[in-house]
Amino acid sequence: MKKRGTACQGRSVMLLCAGVLGLVLLAATAARAAETPKAGGTLNFAVGETPPSYDGHRETTFAMLHPLAPHYSTLLRFDPENYPKIEGDVAESWTVSKDGLTYTFKIRKGIKFHDGSLLTATDVKATYDKIVFPPEGVASARKAYYAMVEKVEAPDASTVVFRLKRPSASLLAQLASPWNFIYKADILAKDLRWYEKNVMGSGPFTFVEYVPGSHWDGKKNPDYFRKGRPYLDGYRAIFIRDTAPRVAAIRAGQALIEFRGFNPVVRDDLVRALGDKIRVQESSWICNMTVAINNEKKPFDDVRVRKALTLAIDRWEGSKALSQISIMKPVGGLMRPGSEFAAPEAELAKLAGFGKDAETSRRETKRLLKEAGVPEGFAFTLKNRNIKEPYEAVGVFVIDQWRQVGLNVTHQPQEGGPYFADLRAGNYETSIDFACDFMDEPDYQLIKFVSSDKSPINYARYVDPVVDDLYEKQGRATDPKERLKLIRQLEKRILDEQVYQFHVLWWQRIVPHWARVKGWKITPSHYLNQDLRDVWLAPE
Amino acid sequence: MQRFFLRRFLLMIPTLLGVAVLVFFLLRVAPGDIVELKYAGVGAFVSQEALDMERAQLGLDKPLWKQLIDWIWGIVRLDFGTSMWTGRPITYEIAIRLQLSLQLAIMATIVAVLLSIPLGTIAALRQDTWVDYVVRVFSIAGLAMPSFWLAILIILGFLIFFRWLPPMFFTPIWVDPWANLSQLIWPALAVGYRYSAVATRMTRSAVLEVLREDYIRTARAKGLWEKLILGRHALKNAMLPVVTIIGLEFAFLIGGLVVTEQVFNLNGIGMLFVEAVTRRDYTMTQALVLLVSFTFILVNFVMDLVYAWLDPRIRYQ
Repeated sequence: MKKRGTACQGRSVMLLCAGVLGLVLLAATAARAAETPKAGGTLNFAVGETPPSYDGHRETTFAMLHPLAPHYSTLLRFDPENYPKIEGDVAESWTVSKDGLTYTFKIRKGIKFHDGSLLTATDVKATYDKIVFPPEGVASARKAYYAMVEKVEAPDASTVVFRLKRPSASLLAQLASPWNFIYKADILAKDLRWYEKNVMGSGPFTFVEYVPGSHWDGKKNPDYFRKGRPYLDGYRAIFIRDTAPRVAAIRAGQALIEFRGFNPVVRDDLVRALGDKIRVQESSWICNMTVAINNEKKPFDDVRVRKALTLAIDRWEGSKALSQISIMKPVGGLMRPGSEFAAPEAELAKLAGFGKDAETSRRETKRLLKEAGVPEGFAFTLKNRNIKEPYEAVGVFVIDQWRQVGLNVTHQPQEGGPYFADLRAGNYETSIDFACDFMDEPDYQLIKFVSSDKSPINYARYVDPVVDDLYEKQGRATDPKERLKLIRQLEKRILDEQVYQFHVLWWQRIVPHWARVKGWKITPSHYLNQDLRDVWLAPE
Repeated sequence: MQRFFLRRFLLMIPTLLGVAVLVFFLLRVAPGDIVELKYAGVGAFVSQEALDMERAQLGLDKPLWKQLIDWIWGIVRLDFGTSMWTGRPITYEIAIRLQLSLQLAIMATIVAVLLSIPLGTIAALRQDTWVDYVVRVFSIAGLAMPSFWLAILIILGFLIFFRWLPPMFFTPIWVDPWANLSQLIWPALAVGYRYSAVATRMTRSAVLEVLREDYIRTARAKGLWEKLILGRHALKNAMLPVVTIIGLEFAFLIGGLVVTEQVFNLNGIGMLFVEAVTRRDYTMTQALVLLVSFTFILVNFVMDLVYAWLDPRIRYQ
């Protein structure tokens, strides 16, 4: 019987094996050395808009977040390497009481603001008081999300306590919001609006200058509380509003990255032009395109008509086609596909319009339209925003799908002002709408579907107490399984039973960047992981 | 003469006031407001209470007549207020962009004048020769090519052949003249070429017309040098329509280079104008319309002075 042995037996074979092993180790060491962070350099990145005010608590645009996030710390943050895991930023640790009504955070000691003063629990309390309980005359964009917070306390310099009126499934995630910059209590005590025009944070980079409309500069904070970070000496955010010069800037190396991303056509162009100098990171995105239906207008007040409209759309084929030319790709229900809250594909396929048998769906569409008394060739309008990517692309796709079932739809792209005015006033029949958030959180993504009299971003003009009740319940459910069950019920009610409005496709985030940019990992939101603390530049 | 200029100067005031009132109401007739665009535009949920608070902070909750009076009173005190989008003083926001737009307008005008007056004059002097034909082809090509298209060609040329682009952010000329010029020379050439095409054709036809005047024939009959006839008599008189064109184009360049600014990512007045209008930044748009109106009025005023210098008959009328 032959003895079984390893591949490396015999002297010459052993020598060969040792050589190969040595080479492998050498290669691994070289690779590790290449990936060992190097300090120094300035990161130039492009930003597609200019910031309004500098106040994260007031603003909602990435144009404020991308240049300003590196100046600030937050209480918690999403770990970009393990999204959606939450980790402490200025918080060292935290505990939640058994009844879910008290959250206690321990603040790291020794954190300094850029003026050298110490960051303490008082600063965290003052920050959250401004966000959750803003006094008259102070705007807080996200106050409504913290309705469950009764009060914020700072019993000592290193402890912050959030006391809640009711349990909340989302509070921890909300405290990891990238918008909730920790401000200095002394400054807020003097002027609550100081941060609208000034910067004073404790983040990895200090403020150098802002030339409105041109660029924003930051430089390394030598006193940053995470030792050895940041790696970069500084950064420059260059504001480039138009897509073509933004792409040109990346191609010429004037900007090494644009954190929001580009469409697949640009990605392919850049890869073709720059080869291995470019690296592409992709992720599904917590943004989607919706068809808003005016539920008050005939015949759209008839659920059969609304159901026919969603059934007519073949999302699976649409995803294949649109993902070649636009950022539209993942097929999903009310929660982002791939997130912990998303419907499994088998379950999703049972909802109207999400099945994979397009022919059966179209037959059903025609039957429903006939039953509702909608004649062949029925004409109506789809309003849209006059932005090519992705609005007009998705508008054209939807109209084409509806034409295939005998509907005659006119596409009416509009400039932003009239578009939102018409949506708000209900001056439309159907319209393309969209939503975008910084995290996968049902409280955020589902509020669009709560009755119009409660949610200012629900333009579909309906009131449904069942939806409102399910929304409330899921927000209070601290048992994840129970919450998921409620979300599925809500999804079925909105997308299948009542079809008040529906998503077409979710977005795909595509970030082609220079391979020299290291230490940055894509997340499903362009609002996250923007503090640049782990980013470094490999030598050219 | 002084009364003439004083009258022209005082006429600026009602003109600007009329523009101010007109633009105030036109902007408010357009649907949508800045708060809606700012918050709904990013697709995130913001409560009605927060939206109302923003409107109150921006003064949009006040009656229209009160907003108008506040604004006009501000203009009288030369206080144009703050931008509704950024909250910073409008004069500061405009000043940053104006240095770029003004420098670009001056550079493009220099390019245009350096090209158009010699070329137009040579074409007129060598009428219907190959020189004239070349100049005419050159100027027709300039008219046919939009400056932004030429700008795109320049950008693509640099990118494809040299993997280089002009800097994408503005550096004032006194900080770093090289960085400043390497950014602005290319748009100045693109814009100046189209601008020169208009002026070249105008110069050619004006010189041709003047060369046929009796006083030129008389000067030649007197045996004056051709250079003297051309320099002192022909060109000076032919410059009136050319000055008009140059002046109007210069005023246009201050706020009208929207697409060229986009192509080169120039942080100028044109781009600010488009952003202000699309964001419904009322205070900024109003101030920019006033600035552009004032520029046109001022340029016209300066042109009147130049006319009077070039043609003494105007002074004595």
